[in-house]
Amino acid sequence: MSETSTHRKAVRLEATNHEGSLLGKNVSPAKFEAGKDSGFAFADILFAIDLNNEIVLGDAFPDWRGNLYDIQMVPDMATMVEWKPGLDSVIGDYWLKDGTPVPICPRNLVRKLVARLADHGYGATVAVEIEATLFEEPVQEARARGYRDLTPLGGSTGATYHLARSNDWVAYMEAVVDRLDQVGITWEAWTDEAAPGQTELNLAPTDPVRLGDSWARTRQVMREVAHELGHTVSFMAKPTAGFGQGAHINISLRSDGVNRFYAEDGPSELMRHAVGGLLATMEGNTSIAFPQITSYRRLVDLTGPPTTVSWGVNNKTAAVRAITGHPKYSRLEYRLPGADVNPYLALAGVLAGVLAGIERRIEPPQEVTDMAWCLPESCGVRRIPDTMSKAGAALDADPLLREYLGDEFVDFWVASRRWEWMEFHTKGGDPFAELSAWESQRYFEFP
Amino acid sequence: MTETTTLPVRVGTGDPVTLEDDATPLVRLVGRALRASVRDGHVPDAFDLLSGAVAVRSHDTPHTATIRFDRGTAAVSSGVLGQPDATLVVDLHARFASTEEPSGDAALASAALTVLQPPPPPWREAAAQFWEAARVVKGIPDVLVLEAHGPDGPQHGRFGEGTTTYGIAGPADLLAGVFSGADDFLVALAAGLKVRGTLSQLSVMTAASWKVRFDV
Repeated sequence: MSETSTHRKAVRLEATNHEGSLLGKNVSPAKFEAGKDSGFAFADILFAIDLNNEIVLGDAFPDWRGNLYDIQMVPDMATMVEWKPGLDSVIGDYWLKDGTPVPICPRNLVRKLVARLADHGYGATVAVEIEATLFEEPVQEARARGYRDLTPLGGSTGATYHLARSNDWVAYMEAVVDRLDQVGITWEAWTDEAAPGQTELNLAPTDPVRLGDSWARTRQVMREVAHELGHTVSFMAKPTAGFGQGAHINISLRSDGVNRFYAEDGPSELMRHAVGGLLATMEGNTSIAFPQITSYRRLVDLTGPPTTVSWGVNNKTAAVRAITGHPKYSRLEYRLPGADVNPYLALAGVLAGVLAGIERRIEPPQEVTDMAWCLPESCGVRRIPDTMSKAGAALDADPLLREYLGDEFVDFWVASRRWEWMEFHTKGGDPFAELSAWESQRYFEFP
Repeated sequence: MTETTTLPVRVGTGDPVTLEDDATPLVRLVGRALRASVRDGHVPDAFDLLSGAVAVRSHDTPHTATIRFDRGTAAVSSGVLGQPDATLVVDLHARFASTEEPSGDAALASAALTVLQPPPPPWREAAAQFWEAARVVKGIPDVLVLEAHGPDGPQHGRFGEGTTTYGIAGPADLLAGVFSGADDFLVALAAGLKVRGTLSQLSVMTAASWKVRFDV
């Protein structure tokens, strides 16, 4: 990571809430030194408000929550970087006063599952493809327009890999990767993506906790650069009624420095079991991978996102793509999550599925070698839940995800999505619109 | 949460009211009102002869539903497809009160409105039923303590037994509406309903109120 400030003026404490928004506060250097070991008090409300600042209701609080108690955010000093001259930034986890992790803290969930994998002798290597859409207008203008009728940055013809993007688009992406370099986030590639104004930025493979940190910070960098250059960026699953955007996660398991997903003749047994677990948990994981009402609007056959609970070797129409035959690059690509996902929860969901598969030796269903979109029901391949209510019910009923993510998290998440569903359906969201104004107002800027 | 958020279509149960799968809150709300009317006998004499599609539109949100009456049964689905026989524009937070003149078949619209507006039971009866139904909600307090305000002054009620209590005070009719599902608990709070309990209990009570209002 980058060096910290030589003339520190403030430290920014950072962590995501359940929605995936990077939250925090700036503290003075003296305050930081005094609290960096014991932690800093944050109101538990950060896990109890929706994206419209309403208190989320509808479930029984665990004992650690009361009438807005405080929880402790303890910085992870390994994440300390100089964010800009005079400002250092550090990511933390949420802990209870008795020294136990907050059970619904997204980063702590990832740490817990990484530790469980380590008990089996495995380390996970993960990478992510971050998609985002860029608009010419500054965010103030976007707000004034209700996030509608904005101008895609770089031109309105959307087609992947075009190098003929106008300089404003190129300048934005170059500024982003410069900032990533400065704060120690290793990126691998960026490109023009399928929709007008859309980009894909690939972060380098690393361990899951660090990837979650880098993913959350990359969103922050992309927003800050957009503000600085007078543009707007959105990670909304569908910022316009056109193309959606995803966040594919690639994962492999290693032990003793060897990629255990590799086998000469295709998927290794370990990879097969990981696929089995990922598919067994996919319907429940949809609730996590698709956190917003708009997330489900991406589920259209032939448009990119998977629509079926399916896997295949080198099959990008399936939900899980197996890349095989290479000692270094053999991996699974989990193509379910949207760009609006909470990075840590997305990773936790994937790790939970992989763990379930390898611990129970779950054999996957038959590989899909045809196109996985538009499959007839007679094929026996299930559809991915296409509404927030269906996905919430699937997660609620998933014993595997309850085991690996914990009952407290699952109950909390299901209740929070039920609140979200209820807000949309009772406060003005339009289920029959291609993209309702309610969704744009709520989701365009966050998480 | 142990209940699913989807209500399967009830086939062969003798329930004259069926809802589409994965029903929206509005479909569930309409279904609740229709079932209450059928259960309590609050249906027009001609209900068994009613036939036709009635669109129900929220007066202040885009939400819509369609009721298809078919001689003593009603099927409720989301949205409005095609040309309904009658259209109602209603206030969902005022017990389906019409906000404008219904259009289409006047007799069908009138009958549909009647079925959508069953009067809530007396507040004590509604509270007892609500508290019984709420037992399955995780974290629900043991005892509900009520103060109902009416023309004869405050009346008190206590439901359940145990150590944890939750108190609610407000107009008797509003209490009856909340406990029967006719009125929205959080909207009622904003309108002046008073409660005594913890924030966690408020959260749980919200879940309980959704159970009776939306069956989720």
